[in-house]
Amino acid sequence: MTLSEVTGISGEAGDFRVSVKQNPRYIDMNRCIACGECAAKCPKKVDDEFNAGINKRRAAYIKYGQAVPLKYAIDAANCIYLARGKCRACEKFCPTDAIDFEDKEKNVDVNVGSVILAPGWSPFDPKGVDYLGCAESPDIVTSMEYERLLSASGPCMGHLKRPSDSREPKKIAWLQCVGSRNLNRCDNAYCSSVCCMYAIKQALVTAEHLEGDDLSQTVFYMDIRSHGKEFDRYFEKAQADGVNFVRARPHTIEPGKDGTGVTMRYTLDDGKVVVEDFDMAVLSVGLEASKDALSLADTFGIALDEFRFAQTSSFAPVASSREGVFVTGAFQAPKAIPRSVAEASAAAADAARLLTAAKGTLTRSKSYPREKDLAGQQPRVGVFVCSCGINIAGVVDVKEVVAYAEGLPHVVYAENNLFSCSADTQDLIAKRIEEHNLNRIVVAACTPRTHEPLFQDTLREAGLNAYLIEMANIRNQNAWVHQNAPEAATAKAKDQVRMAVAKAALDYPLARDAVPVTQKALVIGGGLAGMGAALNLADQGFEAVLLEKDARLGGNAWHLDTTPKGEPVRPMLEEMIQRTENHANIKVLKNAALKSATGSVGQFVSKIAVDGQTRAVTYGAAVLATGARESVPTEYGYGEDARILTHLEFDRKLREDAAQLGQAQSAVFIQCVGSREPNRPYCSRVCCTHTVKSAIHLKTLNPAMNVYVLYRDMRTYGLNEILYQKARDLGVIFIRYDVDQKPAVAIEGADLKVTVDDPIVQRPLKIDTDLLVLAAAIEPHASDELIALYKCGVNADGFLNEAHPKLRPVDMAVDGLFVAGLCNYPKPVDESIEQAKAAAARAATVLSQEAMQLDAIKSFVTDDCDGCALCLDVCPYRAIKLEEQATEGNGQVHKRIVTDKALCKGCGLCAATCPKGGVHVHGFTLDQLKAQVSAALVDVV
Amino acid sequence: MTTNHEPVILGFLCNWCAYAGGDLAGVSRLQYPPNMRAVRVMCSGMVHPDLVVDAFGKGADGVMVMG
Amino acid sequence: MYEFKVGRLARILGVHRNTVSNWIRSGRLDARPAPAKRYQIGEAALRRFCALNHIAEDRVLDHLTVLPEAAASLTPTVAARFSTTGREESMTQKTIGSVMVVGGGIAGIQATLDLADSGYFVYLVEKSAGIGGAMAQLDKTFPTNDCAM
Repeated sequence: MTLSEVTGISGEAGDFRVSVKQNPRYIDMNRCIACGECAAKCPKKVDDEFNAGINKRRAAYIKYGQAVPLKYAIDAANCIYLARGKCRACEKFCPTDAIDFEDKEKNVDVNVGSVILAPGWSPFDPKGVDYLGCAESPDIVTSMEYERLLSASGPCMGHLKRPSDSREPKKIAWLQCVGSRNLNRCDNAYCSSVCCMYAIKQALVTAEHLEGDDLSQTVFYMDIRSHGKEFDRYFEKAQADGVNFVRARPHTIEPGKDGTGVTMRYTLDDGKVVVEDFDMAVLSVGLEASKDALSLADTFGIALDEFRFAQTSSFAPVASSREGVFVTGAFQAPKAIPRSVAEASAAAADAARLLTAAKGTLTRSKSYPREKDLAGQQPRVGVFVCSCGINIAGVVDVKEVVAYAEGLPHVVYAENNLFSCSADTQDLIAKRIEEHNLNRIVVAACTPRTHEPLFQDTLREAGLNAYLIEMANIRNQNAWVHQNAPEAATAKAKDQVRMAVAKAALDYPLARDAVPVTQKALVIGGGLAGMGAALNLADQGFEAVLLEKDARLGGNAWHLDTTPKGEPVRPMLEEMIQRTENHANIKVLKNAALKSATGSVGQFVSKIAVDGQTRAVTYGAAVLATGARESVPTEYGYGEDARILTHLEFDRKLREDAAQLGQAQSAVFIQCVGSREPNRPYCSRVCCTHTVKSAIHLKTLNPAMNVYVLYRDMRTYGLNEILYQKARDLGVIFIRYDVDQKPAVAIEGADLKVTVDDPIVQRPLKIDTDLLVLAAAIEPHASDELIALYKCGVNADGFLNEAHPKLRPVDMAVDGLFVAGLCNYPKPVDESIEQAKAAAARAATVLSQEAMQLDAIKSFVTDDCDGCALCLDVCPYRAIKLEEQATEGNGQVHKRIVTDKALCKGCGLCAATCPKGGVHVHGFTLDQLKAQVSAALVDVV
Repeated sequence: MTTNHEPVILGFLCNWCAYAGGDLAGVSRLQYPPNMRAVRVMCSGMVHPDLVVDAFGKGADGVMVMG
Repeated sequence: MYEFKVGRLARILGVHRNTVSNWIRSGRLDARPAPAKRYQIGEAALRRFCALNHIAEDRVLDHLTVLPEAAASLTPTVAARFSTTGREESMTQKTIGSVMVVGGGIAGIQATLDLADSGYFVYLVEKSAGIGGAMAQLDKTFPTNDCAM
């Protein structure tokens, strides 16, 4: 439901009634073929909000080239006809009569069991902040505008130009924390979490766009917050590639001479004032709560925090204050894409958990007639050439293409359709299949990437196998890109049809295999993440086996005092353990070890050793939540003095004897102990927040205590920034140190002394302290066994890898395996719980099916395979095994490869590697591809 | 070879990236010379060396493998 | 009911923002705090304040955001209760096997896909003409420089 807004909600969790207002699109989605005639003819130009207003679009528009749904819309606020009653140009030119100015606003009521709110965020608008100067110079842009300037689909088509004079900028500055961490010029005290990384990304991508040694990029920052997985490496790469990072906040920003470029004035640590010119400046604007946050919160009656983000608890991070209404993404707090995606899955898990009783009641499936048996039949190809209104026919002579197709080998029928994809043409194709006994179909139209499924469906309805269709892409890759060369385009279209027919003649029916799914999950690791995943799956009605290597559940959470929001961890943990151990659907195995793992998604089998006994478990999916641990510091005198503690030891002491801690006169925290150093070049993510929270705790126990925090970059990301601010307000002293000038710790008799170089006063500072707390790095458990068993991947630091760092944050590269918690990367309690729920949701998508439908495009082994095994190493999915087989009759043993259909993704690396034609990919065999090559080159002499 | 020779180029396009890029060029109406004939493959890794040799043998002036 | 930020009102009245803060703290300006550092004030109270301080009412009233009555009555409960357990118990007998997802950005899309794959019917509600949200506007993503599309 696009162009729609929620206007009201009634009822309660499990049975809501939601009113939705659907604004008119003025274009019939069933008729629109996205040809773009309406936009081409529309006389009204308006700012294109998708390109951050840098260029113009028309009042009849699509949001962007790959928009979903790819259907145009008319912007009522800007349409000349709708505003002034005249024009209707689009209506005259639309080839399918899709324009409907009678379209009215519709109000619909829908009945749903729960609601997930994901309204996203709005960028901070710096226009009102005068010193930033963005109103005065066109060369000062926001990061969103810059993103569009860089984009290949943006207004500059990927050739970066500065707005003032369209010249390539050579010297670019980024200004961090614009609209974040700022109470003076705006009210956004929080950190937006993503800007440091996106600025680094933009600096690096800029270097890809602009060649030459004279390019210079400078990032002005307060703290670099590269606290995510692989983020610090990315930051170091940027430094190595020559991006300048300057810790300063430019205070005067003015247009450069002759109105182009920017002049900035800033002060360095040592007090020196610098005036510098840049060709361009990018304001790294922060994320604000969505513009609709207030009205949504009002409609749904949910609580927001002081920054208009939705209020949630660390233990239920996607639950809003109203039962049955879940919140996710940047509406919950500013965050980057992977966490938004994980949270979205978590919200899905919670919503599904609530509605388990009604699962599957409203979904539908479709049935098809039996497939015809084609055995012994010669190919009888039918060719359907689409005009796509005038999209194709306006350039390509479609009649000539049809006539040409009729003369091709195997073709028994050819015709032209105005729109091959329209519903009536689908019926027509089915009729022609019947009439002419067609058994292969070629559609010359648009791209198979969007339309092949539609035609496959038509074939299935007509009793043909779905894989007997080929498409010739004569629109996107012909008519649209050769608009000024109609003759050459027609010739190309003929070639394309000839190539498709040649391949179609060699097409054969393919069966989509299915693997049965065991609707049971194995969860490895009984910490917060493991229990969270097991509980959610169990609540959704799936059986879960929870494997814990220790004698008790809970893991690291036993050692934590409170979350950054101040919620005590212990009661929640105890409740969670109790629920896990008593849940009817969960089997807990303690003191257990995984011994073997075979099979693949839907059907894994493992042997598990429990107290010396081995048992076998069959399961459809597994969640890996093996956790991590606090490392043991090897510096700063750790282990030599009882006053030197790690974070977890500090938390224990706080719980056991807070009064004693409060008696200290002075306390020092040292950050990055063992993190962000050559042997652990990653950020442990949680320590900065834990430190400021602990420093505040000490200041509350004893306001007179001198508390020092020695840090490299404070990384209190997101709403944790508020704690950092509070700590400073309470008088905690923050002193930055460089990694090559680390603080020194000396134990002199009864005295504990810390010496650090203060970069502001530029001299060493000696601190006598009663307490020294070290932010020891989080390190992963050794996971060699797990990796060997599941063939899953880890990064260079030993953390388990996800399938895609942005879009599949809890899936692993091996299908059916999911990852959650610290074993993936260091993270706080709320993020671990989010990931656990997300992993459960993703596992549920596997376990919800009785059988997994596999795609038919898979590799298969032929008789020519002689077992040379060259393909084994190149297979990225480890889907190939070498087996010994006895030849029938003579009993001789020979080697052959076997491919696993569940693991194979049909990439064909094996086929390209094989020197003997021993392995091919269905639908893309060497013969089929060769036929296309030959057909393409038939006219070449 | 005459000066108005139009080269024939064979392109192997990965379904997930280069072929999608070709589609996007169409949606964006980017114009380019009509000399390439595209063969869609599921991964540029499935292009067997034989196919490339075959293409040159049959008279292609150039082969592009994009993925 | 009107809503304002301290800085905004200070600019309208031509006084320092601290002055406005002081007025609120002393009760001279009878406004109550609302989310996101905003304050809300009833129309009567605002008119009274203008009269007392000899400020032209129009100058203030025309420039402040007017809140619909429904929004004004919503004072979010800061101490909303959360629980990790036992939510089902309070539910009605009837359970509908469908979910509405509001927002078609990357988070909304992922939630929709997961639910649909798990056997629930999903209504995805998006305000604009197409889904994709902010991520579709991005050129590349860190740390792998993958294309955002």
